[in-house]
Amino acid sequence: MSATLDVPVIQAPHEVDRPGSRQQKEVTRLLPTWLLGVVIAALCAFVLLPLLYIFLASVNSDLSVARGDFWPEAFTFENYSKIWTSVGLANGLANSVVVAGSTAVVSAALAVATAYVLVRYEFRGRLTMLRGLLALQSIPGTLLLLPVFVLYSSAATYLKIQIIGTHWGLFLTYLTFALPFSTWVMVTYLRGLPKELEEAARIDGASNLGILTRIILPLSWPGIIVSGIFAFLLGWNDVLFASIMTRPESQTAAVALQIFATSTEGGAVPYYGQMMASALVCAAPVVILYLFFQKYLVGGLTAGGVK
Amino acid sequence: MRTEPATRPRPAAPAAGRGPAPEAAPRRGLTRRNRPLWMLIPGGVLMLIVIVGPMILGIYMSMLDLDQYTLRRWVSSPFIGLGNYIESVVSSGLLRSVWLSVSYSLIAMLITLPLGVGAAVATQNAFRGRGIVRSVFLIPYVLPTFVVATVWRTMFQPEGVVDRTFNGLGMDPGLWLNGPNTYWTIIFVQIWASWPFIYLLALAGLQAVDHEVHEASALDGALWWKKLRYVVFPYLKGPLSLAFLIGMLHHINNFTLPFVLFGIPAPHDIEVLPMLTYVTSFQSFRFGLSAAMAVVSLILIAIPLFIYLRAVKLDDGESGGTK
Repeated sequence: MSATLDVPVIQAPHEVDRPGSRQQKEVTRLLPTWLLGVVIAALCAFVLLPLLYIFLASVNSDLSVARGDFWPEAFTFENYSKIWTSVGLANGLANSVVVAGSTAVVSAALAVATAYVLVRYEFRGRLTMLRGLLALQSIPGTLLLLPVFVLYSSAATYLKIQIIGTHWGLFLTYLTFALPFSTWVMVTYLRGLPKELEEAARIDGASNLGILTRIILPLSWPGIIVSGIFAFLLGWNDVLFASIMTRPESQTAAVALQIFATSTEGGAVPYYGQMMASALVCAAPVVILYLFFQKYLVGGLTAGGVK
Repeated sequence: MRTEPATRPRPAAPAAGRGPAPEAAPRRGLTRRNRPLWMLIPGGVLMLIVIVGPMILGIYMSMLDLDQYTLRRWVSSPFIGLGNYIESVVSSGLLRSVWLSVSYSLIAMLITLPLGVGAAVATQNAFRGRGIVRSVFLIPYVLPTFVVATVWRTMFQPEGVVDRTFNGLGMDPGLWLNGPNTYWTIIFVQIWASWPFIYLLALAGLQAVDHEVHEASALDGALWWKKLRYVVFPYLKGPLSLAFLIGMLHHINNFTLPFVLFGIPAPHDIEVLPMLTYVTSFQSFRFGLSAAMAVVSLILIAIPLFIYLRAVKLDDGESGGTK
C-alpha cells in the first residue's frame, strides 16, 4: 500500500509511470482489444437477451407468447395490473417481505454475536464449530424437509403451538438455514477488523457486550448488511419449504408464482404474460438490492477469497 | 461467567501483525480470558433444533417403514433397518438419479468454468462502462432460481421462442421440457444461472496477481495467451477449485431448478436426486423410502464437502484456495 504512494517521490515522475496511467494499464492488460470486445459482447447478449424477453413477454398477449414471438404484436401493460389479485401476488409479496425481512434482521444480529465469539476467543470446539458452519450450509434441504415438518407438527400436537402454515414456521426455518452462511460471512469480515480498538476499549473497562455493541457493531456494518441480505435472499428464493409449509393465506411470492404453472394445465393457453410480469416483479427487489449493495455483496459472495 | 475486567492486554503484537501474519502463531491474539460464550447459545440452539436434530431424525426415519398411514404415529412405526436403502437401490431408480445428478452437475460445471474465467479476464482491466458490464454479468446469479426456471420454462415451451429460433435455422430439436432433451435443458439453464459465481471467484483470483508479475511478463515480452496460460492461470487454480467444489454442492442440492422447470412428477429423463426424493415423499407418500434417498444424497454431498473442509483454512484470514 505504502509502496505505491512512494513511487512519485522516489523517481522523477514520467507521466507514464503513474499508477492508473495508460501505460500502467497496458501492463496489466490480459486480452487483445478485439477479443475483449468479442467476449464481453457475447456474454452480455447471453445474459441480456433472456432478460429482454421476460420484459417483452410480460407486455405481450398470451397467444403471441405461446406462438413464440420474441417481439410483442402489441404492447399492453394490463398484465401488471392483473397479477396482484389473480394469483394473490400482492399477498405473496407481503408474506415474502415479512418472512425474509425478519429473517434477515434476526439472522444478521445472531451472526454478529456468534462470529465475534468465534473469531476473538479461544475455546474448546472452536475449530469444530467453524467447520460445522461450512458443513451445515451443504446439508440437502430434501433431507431436512420431512423431519422439520414432522417436528413442527409435533409442536402443534404436544405443545399446542401451531407452526405449520404460519409465518413463524418459515421464519424459524429460514433463520436457521441462513445462520451458518451469515455467520461465516461475519467470521471472514470480523477477522479483517483491527484488534487494537477492542483492546483499547477493554483497557477503558468495556465489557464484552459493550465491545460488541460499541466497537464491533459500528465497524462491521458492511458485513452485517451482506449477511443480512444473504439471509433475506434465502427466504425470498426458497420454494422447497414454502411449497409444503404454507397455506394459501401465508404463501410466499415464490409459491404464488408456481400457481401459474400448475393451474393452467387444462389445455387453455397459460397466462404467460402475467407469469412473466410476476416473475419480473418477484425478481425486482432482489436485483435492486444487489445492484445497490454490489460493492459489499461481491466481497461476501467470495467470502474469504478477497484480500 | 466472571465479570472481572480483562486486566492486562496481551503483549502487543508486532506492528506488522496485520499483514500476512506468520503461520507460526496463528492463534496469537485469541484470548481465553473472560469469554462471552453465552453469545453462542441462541444461534447454536437454533441450529441444533432445526438442522442437526432433524438431520438425525431424518437418518432415523430412513430406517422406518413410514407412509401416509404411519406418519401420524411415526414413533411407533415399524423399524426395518436398511430395508429402505435396499429397496431404493434395487427398485426405485436411485442409482440412476445419482448418476443424473452428478453427471449433470459436472457437465454444467465444466462449461461454466471457461465462461466465468473468460468474463473475469475480460473485465479485469478498466474500460469505459466496465461497471455496467460487471453488474450485468451478475444479474443471472442474482435472480431467484424460481424466476430463472419460470422464465426458461416459458421460453422452452413447445413452439415457444426457443423452438421458433431453431425452426428459423431449419432445425427441429423436439421437446425441451419432456423426453431426452430435458437433460440438456437443465444443464443449459444451470449454466446460465450459475456461471457468474465462477466469474466472481476468478475475478478475486485475478486481483491477487501482483503488479510486479504483470510487469515481469511484460518485460519478458510474453504474448497475451502465453501470459494467460503460464502467468495468470496458475493464480486461478486455487479459487477455481474452490468454486468447483461449492458449485458441485449447489448443483447436486438444487431442487428449485428442476422442480420449477419441469414440474412434478418430473420427466423420467431428468429425475435428479432431489426431485426423486421429493416425489417419493409428497407424491407417493413413501416417507421412509424418501428419507433413505435423502441420506444417500447427504453421503453424496459429503465427498466434495470433505475435500472443501480440508482445503479451507479455518483459522486465519482467508479461506482455502486463494493462495
